Order: sequence, then C-alpha cells, then structure tokens
Amino acid sequence: MDRRDFLKTAGGSVLAGTSCVYAFRFLIASDSGGPTAETPTSCRRWGMVINLDKCLEDCTACLSACRNENNVAHHGDARWDIHWIRKVRLVKKHTENLGKQVLLMCNHCDNPPCAQVCPVQATYKRDDGIVIVDHHRCIGCRYCMIACPYNARFFNFRENEDWPNRDFPKRSHGVAEACTLCAHRLERGLKPACVDACEAQGAGALTVGNLNDAGSEVSQLIARNPVKRIREDLGTEPKIYYIGL
Amino acid sequence: MEIKFESIEGRSRSYYLLLSVLAAMAVAGGLATWYVIEKGIWVTGMTNRIPWGIQITLAVYYIGLSAGSLVISGLYGVFGKLEYKPFARLAVFVAMLFLIAGLLSILTDQGRMDRVFVEPFVHFNLQSMFSINPLLYNGHILICVIYLWALFKEKKALTKVVATLAFGWAFCVHSGTGAIFGFGARVLYESPLLPASFVAAAMASGTALMIVMIVGLFKVTKRHVDDALILWLGKFLAVCLLVVVYFLAAENAYRAYVVELRDAAIYFLFEGFHAWLFWGGLIFAGCCLPLLILFHGRLGKSIRWIVFASLLVVFGVLCERYVIVFPGLTHPPDMFPGMEIVGAGLQEGVVDYTISIVEIVQALGVFGVIGFFFVWGLKAFELLPTEARVLALRAPAESANPESGAGV
Repeated sequence: MDRRDFLKTAGGSVLAGTSCVYAFRFLIASDSGGPTAETPTSCRRWGMVINLDKCLEDCTACLSACRNENNVAHHGDARWDIHWIRKVRLVKKHTENLGKQVLLMCNHCDNPPCAQVCPVQATYKRDDGIVIVDHHRCIGCRYCMIACPYNARFFNFRENEDWPNRDFPKRSHGVAEACTLCAHRLERGLKPACVDACEAQGAGALTVGNLNDAGSEVSQLIARNPVKRIREDLGTEPKIYYIGL
Repeated sequence: MEIKFESIEGRSRSYYLLLSVLAAMAVAGGLATWYVIEKGIWVTGMTNRIPWGIQITLAVYYIGLSAGSLVISGLYGVFGKLEYKPFARLAVFVAMLFLIAGLLSILTDQGRMDRVFVEPFVHFNLQSMFSINPLLYNGHILICVIYLWALFKEKKALTKVVATLAFGWAFCVHSGTGAIFGFGARVLYESPLLPASFVAAAMASGTALMIVMIVGLFKVTKRHVDDALILWLGKFLAVCLLVVVYFLAAENAYRAYVVELRDAAIYFLFEGFHAWLFWGGLIFAGCCLPLLILFHGRLGKSIRWIVFASLLVVFGVLCERYVIVFPGLTHPPDMFPGMEIVGAGLQEGVVDYTISIVEIVQALGVFGVIGFFFVWGLKAFELLPTEARVLALRAPAESANPESGAGV
C-alpha cells in the first residue's frame, strides 16, 4: 500500500467511525420515551411548580403517596422521621394569624450546596437536573444536611422497618437522603407519586415537567404566573417554583 | 550543654493502674461505638435538626489542641529558641496524638464507618472541605512522624525544614477545620473570620495544655523545669487569649450590627444553654479570669496560678467549640425571612439538644485510646528531658537568676 492509498483508507475509516457514533447517539436520544419524548434526556431539566392557591387545606395525599412510593421512614418521632415532602404553615413573626400552608421539599438546585460539600460525590446533580444520593457510596457524614439551606436533607438515623413498595429499595441506617423527584417514575414516563396523588384529589396543585422546553406545562405556568423560589438570593437556583407564596 | 532525654521508668503500680483505666475507657468507647453501629446514630441523641453532636465538637477541639501544641514545638524548631528544645519532642508527640484523636472522633461519628477508608479516596471532591481536610489531617500526622524522627535523631537541618513545614501546615489544618463552620449556609455558620479565630483559639488552647502538661509531667517524674520557661509561655498564652477575645468581639459585633443577622446574634448571645457556656465558660472563665491572672503582677509570676489559668483556658476553648457547633444547628436556617415555620412533621424553629450518655462514653473512649498511647509513649520513647533550664544554654553571666519562686 502506497502513501496515497493509506491516507484514503485512514480518512475513510475516521469518517465512517464518526458518522456511526453520531448516528448511534441520535438513535439513543430519539428513543428515550417519557412525557416529553421529543427532547433528548441530556437536554431535559426537570422542575416543579407548586400552586399553593390550589393546595387543599389539611390534605396530606402527596405526603402519604411519597412515603408509600419511596419507602420513606416514619418512626412516629419528629426527631428522626424523614420527609421528602412536608407541609408546614408560614406565620409572620410576632403575629397571631394562622398563616399560609406551604409544601417544602428538596429544591433540586442547579447549584446544589449539598453536592458541593459531599466528600465522596455521593450526592450529585444528574444531567436532567435532579439532585440525587448514591446510597451505596454515602459515608453518612451529614455535611449535606448542614449545607442545605432548605432543611430538605434527611438522615436515616434508625433502621426503617416499613417497606410498602417492594419495587423500590429502602435505605439502610447511616445514609442521607432527600426527594428524588421520583426519578425512577419519570424515567418510565410516569409522574412523581405526589403529583399523581394531588391530581387524584382533584387539586392539581403540583406540576412537574421540563424547564428547558418552553412549551411544557411547567414553563407555561412559570411564564404566565408570578412565581417565587425559596431564598433565590442564595444563588442556589432552585427548580421548585411556587405560585401564591 | 547537651540536653539529655530519658524515658520514664514506668514500673510503678500507679503507672499500670493509669494504663488500665485508660484501656478500660478505650474498650468502653469501642463498645459504645459498636452499639451505635448496630442501632443507628439516633442512640447518640442526634436528630435531623441536630445532625452533628459531641463527637464533631470534640474532633474540632482535639485538632485545635494538636495545632496549638505543634506551635510550641515550633518555638525551637522554627524560631530556634533553644531553651524550648526540651519540650519539642513532647509537643510533637502530643500534637500527633491529638490529631489522631480528632480523626477517631470523626470516624466514630460517621453513619457508614465501613466506607470511610475507601470512598473518600476513590471519589475525591476538591470542592468539599470534608475532602480537603483529611488531606491536611493525614499530612499533619505524617509531618509529625518525620518531625519526631528528626528530633530523635538530632538532625538539625531536617528539623528546621520539617518544623517550618509543620508550623505552616498547622495553620492550614486549623483554618480548614474552621472553614467547615465558617463557610456554611446557616446564619451562625457564616463568617470568614472563623478560620482565623479558630487558629487563635487553637494556639491558646494548645499552649495552655502544654503548660499544664509540662508542669504536671515534670512534677510527677521529679524533673526540674525553670520557672522562667513557664512564665514566658504564660505571657505567650496571654497574647493568644487577647487575639481570641478580639476575634470574638469582632465577629459578634458584626452579627449584632447587621440587621438581618441581629435575631441570630441575640439568640447566640442571650438564649439557651449555649449562652451560659459562652458568657460563663468562654468569656468569664476561659478569657477574662486567665487574662486577669496572667497580667497580674504577683499571680502572673506564680507557676501554680499560671497552671490554673491554663486549665481555665483549656476549659474555655472547649466551651468555644461547643458554642460554635451547636447554636448554628439549633438555630434554624432562615428560609423565609420575617416568617416563622410552624409544622409537626420535622422539628421546626429553634430546637434543643441534650448530650447523651452514649456520646460521652464514645468521647471517653477516644480520650482513652490516645491517653493510653501517650502514657505508653512516655515509657517507650525518650520524650522528656532530664531537666529544662534556661541557664544551661546561656552565658554564665546571665545565669544568676534569683527569682525562681514556686519550683516544681
């Protein structure tokens, strides 16, 4: 083989290889399925809108659904119970008024302080924006709980005896956890358990979707309503938006 | 004149009794830790609102003592103060043991201790102070080992190099530890001053501890130490304390002055058990009283009073560690400024913390481990000098010192 033939063969091989890689990546991207099947997974950025005006007074359907879906530990003691989503009341300081009820959960920040401080990178932000904990890597130092400005990180201080959803793992004691936005359900094209439960109640206060898609329901809600995020000034870029806060 | 080092005999009944007590403490601590591993960390009394407890507080305290002790060894190693050479080996040995105590405290505080030896090294995160600090801590121990070896082998050039490195490293170690509590998301964990004030408190507590140990050990082992050496350490301690007080004043004045931090400042200074520890333990017993003693014309020249002042400082800095760790946790993050969160699920608002027996036994266990190795080390290695004199290294003309009062 002379030099000309060698260059032809080599050039052709590189071109063919590159085309295959791009074709393969294109195929994977367009076969991802899910609620917004037209968007490649890596371009998704999951977020949620919580409409507090629609949230029913004293309804805890989303809390129970989350607990049952994700095997979230409940020991009957406020010190060690875990809450991936919790309902509280906001009262203006030094007043007697009843205040407003608010749902609090992991904000899946774009700049998550919990992931920044994790010494083993067990907490990390996925490409689709969900902040998640690798329970097989977490050493249980609890630095993420200190760093989270939203009190949304919890620790398995005790062994969780309940395991209602056998299709989903429960966590051993000694590791941290927080809301995963039901990533396992989103991957199957389902909505998070809390969103489903809220819809079943007829309230529809919770909406999840792709923030990168301007046409998605969440993007539309954010565009058309005055929304707030908790402590935006901290620069954490939370992806939970509130209407009526 | 050559300084001679000699290990202790360590054959007395009280020596073995002390070793046995320390070993028993270590075993008890081990059992308590096993209990925590079996049952979960809830048995230590920590909660989702108070995720760090006494073990972390003591880890920070021990690391401070370590950094401070190393500074004393630097008097000879770095600054060439030959009269402090007798204490250099002891100071480095103590610094090494206290750092090990700090690491043991951190280790026994982890939810999954089995993963601590692998995961942090495999999945290193340079953005986390918890990843950077183990590098500093392990480096510190390694430097201490080389430093000790250089001192034992009387390698002067190596001693100078390693001592200088250790001196700088000790500052980094404690600044890094302070950064954990200074660069946080909580109102009372936000302070760029904290790493610096941590270093000041570390130097104060380390110096105070060395004074107590030197005077105590020399007395028990019937060795002579010149009062002048202790008097100078007392003055050094007083200066360190002044720096600590300055940082405390600056930090709290800032919090009280800035409107959005004022509520937290009031909580920190005047509400709850920690406020008692702050004013009573740290400010009065740990700073004001020792400063009065050390600057007093007569008391400041009495070895007994200097030792008493040092004990107060050791206690005061322990209180300081407590008031750094706990109020920052019991005070909630300010998620909705001007609003109060009321809820039954998680403990919201300001919460209480009670120290548990399990935590105390774990802490005693860690102390037992390093105490055991310290007492054993006094016998196994030539750590203590036969005597420590100012005069031995000075010209004969300077050697007439009639003012050696309460000798030990």
